[in-house]
Amino acid sequence: MKPFTFTLRQEPPQRVDLSALAPDRLAGKSVAQIEEIEIGVTRVSTKVGDLFKISAGDLKSVRYEGGSSRFDLLGAKLLPGFEIHVEGDVGAQCGRLAKGGKITVAGSAGPHAAAGNLGADIEIKGDAGDFLAGPLAGELAGMAGGRIIVRGKAGARAGDRLRRGIIVIEGDAAEDLGARVIAGTIFCLGESKGRVGYLNKRGSIVLARGGCFGSTYVDCGAHQLTFARLLARSLKDHSAPAAALLSRKLRRYGGDTAVYGKGEILTPD
Amino acid sequence: MGTATLDGKAIALDDAYRHAAKILNAAAFPLIAGLGADIAGARAAILLAERLKGAFDHLASREMLADLDVKRSFGMFTTTANEARIRSDCVVLIGPGLTQAWPGMLERLALDRTPCRGAQAEQPRKVIWVGPEGEEARAVPGAKIIPASAHELCGVLAAWRARLGGRPVAFDAEKVSRIDGFVETLRSARFGVFVWSASTLDPLAIEMMQGLVIDLNATTRFTGVHIGARSGASGVTQAAGWMTGFPPRTGFGRGYPEHDPWRFEASRLVDSGEADAALWISAFDGEKPSWSRADIPLVTLAPAQAAPSRGLFIEVGQPGVTHDAVLMSQETGGMTLRKASAPTDAPSVAQAIDSIMAEVSEGAWR
Repeated sequence: MKPFTFTLRQEPPQRVDLSALAPDRLAGKSVAQIEEIEIGVTRVSTKVGDLFKISAGDLKSVRYEGGSSRFDLLGAKLLPGFEIHVEGDVGAQCGRLAKGGKITVAGSAGPHAAAGNLGADIEIKGDAGDFLAGPLAGELAGMAGGRIIVRGKAGARAGDRLRRGIIVIEGDAAEDLGARVIAGTIFCLGESKGRVGYLNKRGSIVLARGGCFGSTYVDCGAHQLTFARLLARSLKDHSAPAAALLSRKLRRYGGDTAVYGKGEILTPD
Repeated sequence: MGTATLDGKAIALDDAYRHAAKILNAAAFPLIAGLGADIAGARAAILLAERLKGAFDHLASREMLADLDVKRSFGMFTTTANEARIRSDCVVLIGPGLTQAWPGMLERLALDRTPCRGAQAEQPRKVIWVGPEGEEARAVPGAKIIPASAHELCGVLAAWRARLGGRPVAFDAEKVSRIDGFVETLRSARFGVFVWSASTLDPLAIEMMQGLVIDLNATTRFTGVHIGARSGASGVTQAAGWMTGFPPRTGFGRGYPEHDPWRFEASRLVDSGEADAALWISAFDGEKPSWSRADIPLVTLAPAQAAPSRGLFIEVGQPGVTHDAVLMSQETGGMTLRKASAPTDAPSVAQAIDSIMAEVSEGAWR
């Protein structure tokens, strides 16, 4: 069956909250009813019909023809079995609290992509903004499951307070990659700027090109880790360069010893 | 009476209030920014933002939120400067420029005197200053100075915390034993205090330092004194908290308060074109907005000497100088009334905003 398609008519005049367009919430609604859904966030009304031309189809596979950096909360609370593809950019908090499913963004994502993700498989083909998979203001933990792959660069504080799941950044990472990580795995295949893994409790951070992680990471020697090979095999279809990196001999730095010292940074020997 | 100008030309005050209301009311998403005001001014400004369904942000939100982010996502031990003065037997000053951020700091903390309460009373006070700027530590005779640049501070705190927990750090034996010496000083304190300002310490370093405080509290008593941000940020944050449940960077676009430090950051809202009119309030010193767009319809409330050449300007008095003002006091950690030191008849921020609000009727937009 053909996908349920939202075709962008014009650049949104204001930020829009697309959390109301979660596919499971659209089930049973007619196109006319969907067009009446309010997605504006100011005193000016912006309805779905003002922005999109809708062509009904299978809600299991939703497609946005055209994106915008003003598309907030796209794919929020997505459920397993659903798929969203965006042919363009998305705004803040893409995949927020998604329980499962798959989100593909052909362009770039704004800040807090995959914030609170619980199980979705998210792919950003362009760049990601600050706080990739990080917690929102006042939240105690960031992403708690699932996987996010960024083919381009990531902004500052990527992987902040990561709780569980896998983050792959194929390009460069800005300042403070993997800060306050609780657990989970982060890959950076490009350059990482500034501090890495500050206050990391027990997460694993894999850096293709090394980085600056200060005196509270202690050299634990170079190893051929069995678990790394298993993880490489499971990642092979999603990010070949990350899988290749894991298959190499890796030097392990244990830290951040300022907190528990149960985390690690792995770099090729 | 105060003065008002429109693009540099004088206009009558009543016309200015009416014109300000017109500018803000015509906007789809107006922004109330700067917010350099006393408590009454902040209350009026936030009420106006709510009526206009706009957003509000403070000019020192970055610093204010650095402390608040640690407080709300990690936890924070703090005390008042007075408590630190009478009880602390170990004071650790962290970072450069503390005496600029709070000119009265040394007088209030009286670091050269001994504590006078608790078992540590009359014992000599140990003072350590990590990374002071230039000669500023000279003002504290006997202070132990640990040189560190601003970006090394986070590493110093991390190494201390690791050694306090008995965990290894990647330094040679001599440096480790020097760190252990400092850590022993912290551990043996009866009442220790860290003093910092978020203008030089980033949120991660503040979290590290507060983690150190938690670790130290397992065996002794340690706490912190944080130096609040400029232009009344601490007081404005308190007022925003009791009015909306959130600190600045909160919007009322959908009729209820939503807090998002990224979405409602004033400069981003203006530069992205999402906000289409702004009210800039800077009553203490007339600080200018940090955004780069010059074409946004702008209303400025500031002291007379800070009149901008563009847009609508309405003169307001300086809180605690030209009129009595309630402000959050760094000295006591509470709200205090500052009597006017040089009263004039310039309107306060609250009076100016109330006059603007009188011209904005609820739900009248479009």
